Amino acid sequence: MLTRRLFCGLAALTTTTILAGRAFAVPSLVLMDGVTPNPDNTTVIEAGKFKKDGPWVIGMSHFGVNANTWTVQVSHEADFAASKEPRIAKFITLDAGFDQKKQVADIEDLIAQKVDAIIVMPVSSTSANASIEKAVAAGIPVVLHTGRIDSDAFTVEIQGGAEHFGKVMGDWLVKKVGNDGKIWVLRGLAGHPEDTNRYNGLMQAIEGTNIQIVAEEHGDWQYDKAKSLCETLFVSNPEVDGIWSSGADMTRACVDVFKSFGTAIPPISGEGNNGYFGQWLADGFDSISSEYSPAQGAAGVRAAIALLEGQELYHSYGYHPEGWDKDKAAKFYRADLSANVWWPSELSEELLQKLYAK
Amino acid sequence: MFDLMGRNSRQGMWAMPLGVAVVIGAVLSFGTAQFATAENLWNLVTQAMPLVITAIGQMLVVLVGGLDLSVGSVISFTTAILALDAPAWVLIPAVFVLAAGIGFINGFVVTRFRVHPIIVTLSTQYIVLGVTRILRPTSGGTVPEVVIAAVSGSLWGVPFAALWGLAVIALAWVLLYRARYGLHLFAIGGGIASGQTEAARNFGLKDRRTVLLAYVACSCFAALAGVFLAGRIVSGDPNVGLLVELDSITAVALGGTQLAGGIGSLHGTVIGAFVLALLANGMNLANVSPFVQTAVKGVILMAVVGLQSRKKMGL
Repeated sequence: MLTRRLFCGLAALTTTTILAGRAFAVPSLVLMDGVTPNPDNTTVIEAGKFKKDGPWVIGMSHFGVNANTWTVQVSHEADFAASKEPRIAKFITLDAGFDQKKQVADIEDLIAQKVDAIIVMPVSSTSANASIEKAVAAGIPVVLHTGRIDSDAFTVEIQGGAEHFGKVMGDWLVKKVGNDGKIWVLRGLAGHPEDTNRYNGLMQAIEGTNIQIVAEEHGDWQYDKAKSLCETLFVSNPEVDGIWSSGADMTRACVDVFKSFGTAIPPISGEGNNGYFGQWLADGFDSISSEYSPAQGAAGVRAAIALLEGQELYHSYGYHPEGWDKDKAAKFYRADLSANVWWPSELSEELLQKLYAK
Repeated sequence: MFDLMGRNSRQGMWAMPLGVAVVIGAVLSFGTAQFATAENLWNLVTQAMPLVITAIGQMLVVLVGGLDLSVGSVISFTTAILALDAPAWVLIPAVFVLAAGIGFINGFVVTRFRVHPIIVTLSTQYIVLGVTRILRPTSGGTVPEVVIAAVSGSLWGVPFAALWGLAVIALAWVLLYRARYGLHLFAIGGGIASGQTEAARNFGLKDRRTVLLAYVACSCFAALAGVFLAGRIVSGDPNVGLLVELDSITAVALGGTQLAGGIGSLHGTVIGAFVLALLANGMNLANVSPFVQTAVKGVILMAVVGLQSRKKMGL
């Protein structure tokens, strides 16, 4: 009896050790600084499952290349990462232009081209699901980043965590405005999951406080629209203790409005944009920068390469960096580059100069 | 004599876009390995279908000198309704009843209050989009299984999308060329285009009713396109119809229909929609950079429309 128990115990211990060893052996690949395996989903994509000899053709379905300077840079970061890998014969980027039905068609076109891997930046949380399932059914690994989908059909995901992004800003703002503060909320594009999820992060941060949202508007992450909004808000409701802005271009616009009215700039959130950093450092207002690197484009390419090399990867990775203070922003800020660069970036100095030199 | 260029034809100038479609198809067949494969051609048919359906509806309105800018919102609204938690036998008829109501409002305000169609349909576009975003702020929900099956399946290797296309084209063909209603549309539109807005009425045609029904039909075609798209994206989405109104007007114009009314054809509109789908599919396969795709599309459209010179100036 004792022998049987001992045997069972040893067997269980051995199995646990093997499984644990297997789990710990996997994440040797660093997809990007700050990207870590998702502790809530430790599923592993087994080694060799998608292994293929090169040369490879990799396709990327981008939710909207020309939407703003950040989305453009994601494309550049992906192109640059692909150009560094000699086994990639062709890297195809298709632009859905924030059109769900075009993204469905784009992924179908990539499948028809028999690409070796597909990277998807989803337009919405549901619209690309069927196409992604079709790609995986055709034996093509799908890497998902910068947007969640309501399906588990992808092969590997790298998720920036829009809620985390919004919560980092929200937590900081709660400290700044206090329990009874009045805030404006500048949101992104209505209906876009990134906007909804960042906003949900703010809601988590202010839950349990008496903070009052005195104005909530969609600036579509655009400078010009946000500037008009902030002008109107300032005229109609200037008593504001802090501003939660979902994007750096909107932050810049709002700061410019306060400066034009000659009033003190209230605490306002921002993100890793060179123009915003320059403004922050020059004007010295109270702010925090959430990190959401365009280099996720490069991380997606690295994940696709790893799958084609036959490496083991986790099914789900998270990207939840801390907020940046002014000192960290100062280390990244480049006065010689335009306002259109986003940090952190993996672009080479040569490319930064070529694309963004003033 | 068969008027290939269509400069004098009531059917509009459809031969030019057909020629362009053939040339693009030929270039892609020789230039890319994937274009002429059955998989890609069926993809193309499926991808074009929502626009084909919407553009046919849009053409009915354009034939009487109107425009419907609300079709994109009707499409989004339809997907949002279909993703509600209710049985398919309730949801599917409901989307057509609601779409007919939207079309009725458009047509009623245009014909009774003589408000310009752009203003009327732009207003309904905003109203319907607003209601859609209240119903479904972000994409999600589940579309009835029957809708998904009706869109994603195939029969003897032919995707259901092709059957949808045949059915819709047959319906529109009967409406335009075999029913008195189609004749009235061309007659009323011809009068409007030539500045004689009362001409059709003087001949005893019920012009207001005919125009109103064109808007109702246009909305119903948009709802049908919405049902198709809901089956494609398997969910409701408040933004899925954005800009379809402009694409549908482009397809109609590209197919040789005169935006002033009275001149146009079903086959021209179908060709126009396929040219747009062909451009999108072709540029993807030819790996044209996303930074230049939009410009290339604009240049080709301007070239095709520019080559369709008319004997009489019209929009």
